[in-house]
Amino acid sequence: MATDRDPNDIAIVGVAQTVAHERFDGPEVVLIMECVNKLLSDANIERSDVGFTIAGSCDYLSGMPFAFVSNVDGMGAWPPVYESHVEMDGAWGLFEAWLRLQMGDIDVAMVVGSGKSSPCDAREVFHLQADPYVVAPLGLDPDAMAGIQARALINAGKATEADIAAVVARSRAAAASNPHAQISGTVTGDELLAEPYDMAPLRAHDVSIKADGAAALLIARRDRALELTDNPVWITGIDHRIESHHAGLRDLTDSVSTRLAAAGVGLADGPIDIAELHVTHAHEELILRDALGLTAATSVNPSGGPLVGDPVMATGLTRIIEVARRIAAGEATRGVGHAASGAALQQNLLCLMEGGA
Amino acid sequence: MDELQGTDLPDIDFTLEYPYTRTTGPIIGPFLTGLRDGHILGTRVGDRVICPPVEYNPADGSTVGPENLVEVGPAGSVEGWTWVATPTSKHPFTRPFAFAQIKLDGADTTMLHAVDAGSIDNMSTGMRVVARFEHGLGADRLGTVVDIHFVPGEDPPSAPEIDPEAEPVGITEHLIGVRIQEPLQPHRQRFLRGLMEKKIIGQRSPADGKVHVPSRGYDAINRVPMTEADDVVVANRGTVTSFTEITPIQYHGQTETEPYIRCSVLLDGADSTIGGVDIRDIPVSEFNVGLRLEIVWQDEIDFSDPDNRGYGLTEDVYERWVRTGEPDVDPELVKEHNF
Repeated sequence: MATDRDPNDIAIVGVAQTVAHERFDGPEVVLIMECVNKLLSDANIERSDVGFTIAGSCDYLSGMPFAFVSNVDGMGAWPPVYESHVEMDGAWGLFEAWLRLQMGDIDVAMVVGSGKSSPCDAREVFHLQADPYVVAPLGLDPDAMAGIQARALINAGKATEADIAAVVARSRAAAASNPHAQISGTVTGDELLAEPYDMAPLRAHDVSIKADGAAALLIARRDRALELTDNPVWITGIDHRIESHHAGLRDLTDSVSTRLAAAGVGLADGPIDIAELHVTHAHEELILRDALGLTAATSVNPSGGPLVGDPVMATGLTRIIEVARRIAAGEATRGVGHAASGAALQQNLLCLMEGGA
Repeated sequence: MDELQGTDLPDIDFTLEYPYTRTTGPIIGPFLTGLRDGHILGTRVGDRVICPPVEYNPADGSTVGPENLVEVGPAGSVEGWTWVATPTSKHPFTRPFAFAQIKLDGADTTMLHAVDAGSIDNMSTGMRVVARFEHGLGADRLGTVVDIHFVPGEDPPSAPEIDPEAEPVGITEHLIGVRIQEPLQPHRQRFLRGLMEKKIIGQRSPADGKVHVPSRGYDAINRVPMTEADDVVVANRGTVTSFTEITPIQYHGQTETEPYIRCSVLLDGADSTIGGVDIRDIPVSEFNVGLRLEIVWQDEIDFSDPDNRGYGLTEDVYERWVRTGEPDVDPELVKEHNF
């Protein structure tokens, strides 16, 4: 097939995700296994065709030291392969896999994100991402940090509580067509605003619903990608930026790291049909829309996003999958997947994708 | 197994907890020492005072030394806040409270901390708060950031009692833990219920027919999840496939004094071994690969603290393993299973 792509260009050639289970009673390995088996089967390739595997997960969630090692069973420990792991969302695994394929010695990589968060209270885990001396001992969890960020946004006149409620209402409505979502339906902003505060000015429904789940994708170098699929989704840019872990040194009403990542991937070089954003607290969508410069021409979180199902550690990778799936299906031409990590959007990763041979 | 269907195996509920200790360094050390002793320090970086203090310039990473430490507070203004209606077990209060960004007097940046305001109605952006050199829960003050909290108002704090002998805070300790609550996974429930009936339940892979004992609920080689339909009962006797003699070395907490054997046993009907089998009453001179052993069960098998991780049969289940008296199996026949 004729192509203008560079031989080093990398495309997504297959995607899979589990539903966002409120609680999955089996082992995390089985979640991964079901996801990986579907991925390989749909892409019509064997596990032995994969030259590199990488997973993103968090052992704290299931309270099982070295759970990430057992998780390899789900990806297929046999035959042996270059293997890696990040204690991050699977989206960061994609970044490493994308880099790994640049070396040119192997041409297919598999990326998995998975999490079983139901055994724990994620609030009691993720405060450990904060500065270990001056913040983590406070137990200042991401939901509380989000409450502070939402108030900063409101105090700055950049959003109202009604704007935040509108994000939730729109996400739930969009989820009606998402078979993987945990929650969907019609709800009005007024109904949402009548609910009590939890992390004021946020309410419980402004916070994502934690789930057990897995997501996986396959990427390949140009020549192999064109063999494997008629609808490759090219990764035209991937960038990850981090802001200070001292919230006092940040402007919480903006996402400077997202702006930098957007410049890094060349987001503004063309129209964005679709953006899937890692919004685990409703107000974050408003900050991200602004930082990405999105207009009404972009469909934002058409899946409903993490607010309707948050399979922790797979959520960011799922954003990329949701965009890739639509591009492969011809529903969009150019789109961006976003993953976040840390409290109050401290870290942001963008993956810019486009279709066409 | 029917008579055991009603047996309630308890859900898993444990807390995995470790004390983490960290050295504090030239800036955080004095900061935490100050919190203990009744004053709050920031660092002067260029024309700004940053609190909590940093040991580097956030703009360029250059070193900021302890000569730049300056006292700030103890009062300040709330620049941002949230009301924590449902505190977690990690928070410094058990009752609802506020987390706030507090710009202490004399500082140019905000510090995140907890405000014990009693009610959300007492919180507002711009309000004045002041430090209290007390742990929110009244706990001992150990040289950490939770040695203080904030309250609304300006009333100066009373000075904490200072131990003149106390060393500066060179190490800070943080007890990190997570409580895990979950049901036993379905295959684990069936395995443990089988053991209570003195039956060992494995799973036969639908992919290659190999029997996994204890099963993890899937066949890792063929990437196939397994279900109750794949359950099979295997024998409570088998063949030693490998062993080691452990000579206890003495260390704090060691309770063993005499050498003992740990071995792997391939149960009849299984394709994977039970590892870590504890042998106390067979002399090592009479022990060898190929030896036939069987389980002597505990009279009452009760799992008060089951888990989802178990790899083998444990002392919860067996009294000991004894020789069956059968002739040895040719070691060549079990060499595939020697791990």
